Amino acid sequence: MSQALVTGLNGLSYAFILFLLAAGFSLTFGVMGVLNLAHGALYMLGAYIGLQIVNTLDLFWLAIIVAAAALAIIGYALYAFFLKRLYGRVPEQGVLTIGVAIMIANIVLWIWGPRAKIMQTPDFLTGVITIGGLSFPIYRLFVCGVGLVVLGLLWYIQDRTRAGAIIRAGMDNKDMTVSLGINYGLVSTLVFLLGMALAGVAGVIGAPITGAYPTMGDNLLLLTLIVVVVGGTGYIQGTMLGALVIGLLDTFGKAYIPQVALFFAWIVFLAVLLIRPSGLIGRKVF
Amino acid sequence: MDEELSQIPGGPPIAVPSPQDPAARRVPRPLIETVLPIAVVAVIVLLLPLFIPSFVSSLVTKMMIFGLFGLSLNLIWGYANIPSFGHAAFFGVGAYTAAVIVTKAGFSNFWFSMLIAILATAAVAAILGVPAFRVFGVGAGAANPIYFLLATIAFGELLSRMAIVMRPVTGGSTGISGIPKPDLGLGAKVSADQYYYLVFAIGVICLFLMYRIVNSHYGYGLRGIHDNERRMQALGYNTWLYKYTSWIVAAVFGGVAGVLFAYFGSTLVPNNLSMVTSDISFLLVILGGTTVFFGPLVAAVFYVGVEYFASIYLPQRWPLIFGALFVIAIMMIPWTKGRYQGLGPEVLRLWKKVTGGAA
Repeated sequence: MSQALVTGLNGLSYAFILFLLAAGFSLTFGVMGVLNLAHGALYMLGAYIGLQIVNTLDLFWLAIIVAAAALAIIGYALYAFFLKRLYGRVPEQGVLTIGVAIMIANIVLWIWGPRAKIMQTPDFLTGVITIGGLSFPIYRLFVCGVGLVVLGLLWYIQDRTRAGAIIRAGMDNKDMTVSLGINYGLVSTLVFLLGMALAGVAGVIGAPITGAYPTMGDNLLLLTLIVVVVGGTGYIQGTMLGALVIGLLDTFGKAYIPQVALFFAWIVFLAVLLIRPSGLIGRKVF
Repeated sequence: MDEELSQIPGGPPIAVPSPQDPAARRVPRPLIETVLPIAVVAVIVLLLPLFIPSFVSSLVTKMMIFGLFGLSLNLIWGYANIPSFGHAAFFGVGAYTAAVIVTKAGFSNFWFSMLIAILATAAVAAILGVPAFRVFGVGAGAANPIYFLLATIAFGELLSRMAIVMRPVTGGSTGISGIPKPDLGLGAKVSADQYYYLVFAIGVICLFLMYRIVNSHYGYGLRGIHDNERRMQALGYNTWLYKYTSWIVAAVFGGVAGVLFAYFGSTLVPNNLSMVTSDISFLLVILGGTTVFFGPLVAAVFYVGVEYFASIYLPQRWPLIFGALFVIAIMMIPWTKGRYQGLGPEVLRLWKKVTGGAA
């Protein structure tokens, strides 16, 4: 039982990292209609950038900011140079971003080498909190906290702000929204940048947990796809639910029945795709 | 079909190409445009091993196998506009089935392993096709088959995970190694050099069959689905059945390519089922172009050639070149009415120039 609680916290922090990653993917997917299969590779790039900054300057917060900004710039370049010209051609966007992901993975391998790196957690987040004889690592609680803050922020933007209203309107009927004189292009570009920046944040704060290695992009991309499909696109609640399901399933699966953990996730994925293609909580985006 | 069409109120059935109409069955082409190049290429490929070292002929074997793999995906992607990111699932199922039969089950006959592999691939495709085409049009419609793409990714990953989990049968994550050279029965063992001719023979048979399929009435039905699925439905075609059967046919040819690959490399790993191998198939389709039948074959020659030179000169940077090929293919290759131009039409243009515009 006590072991299950600690595994539960691990699963929860993993779920929040997946949430940050999947929220970015889901935003670009839902708002821009862009299938960005390089999202996992960009996450990995964010992790390596953060790692480099922490190792040389030892500034954890700066690492998060720089990684987020760098990924927003790279993501925007990807959009402006390539994806913009492939509007509405989803298979082509997929093929292009797969190519970009392969290239990023090789460049990272080139710069940082093939060996997995573990980022040291910053001093003020190291250690454990002991509750009732069980010790919970502070860093995992911190990851959950960041995830909760981002969840609250996105939820607030989605439901309570003008930008959120524009996004919801655009997802329902883009042509109508644009014809009402709303600058949907600007809002969706900002949302895209936000999604990319979230991948950077996820990369840095996830690096002490998942480590950083050149093939991590593929694994996390596949998990992200599962989360997005299971949770559904268009609502941030759906993404959170999907991340919780897959994060906990994966962590408990790895702890108790290794080997078949991700196998189960794919079966959940296919079941959801068949029974509710729009996800557990989701709107029909396309 | 004719009877159904004539029952459409107000629609004159003469305007619709019927199976009996020879113009719809086969577009007549000049002899010089089809028979001559095929004969030239066939003779060159057949005589090639006499003049080149054996490592080059093994490269040509690889080109033929990957060409077949790309062509099989082109059947659905190019002709029916069914984009799949998981075609390696069928490649891998074919390869694994043949390998398991030869190394674990104790049957050494090549034809038997090929037959079982074809049946297994068709069965897997038939099972996976039902859920896949359930989500093909969901939300997105045929123009935006995003859930279908995600489902095909899932198939490949699921099967490769299964290959890892089923360790006693598939060898787990290390895969199967030591697949012997094919035994054709009646004591005819195929050596490494002779395997070239076996691949060539099977490749020619598959190419002929695929060519007949895409230029049959059925194939024109697939092209119709590519251009306007709604209209095909209005004309009384069961487009779901067309897509579903073409998916199985493409899977079977992909499986044959997988069997040839298993005997060629004599080693299989779970990655042969996953995204890593699927990447190659759709790169070949886009690079080769979907406007001509043989496009992916040309792309396979190019791809295997580039891979070989990269493995000599820049082995560390090969993935970078591989990824760049995707970006270049998508951004540079002209795309009109849902079809790619690519290397295939370029070769065709070159041929026409060589033959002095006779074609």
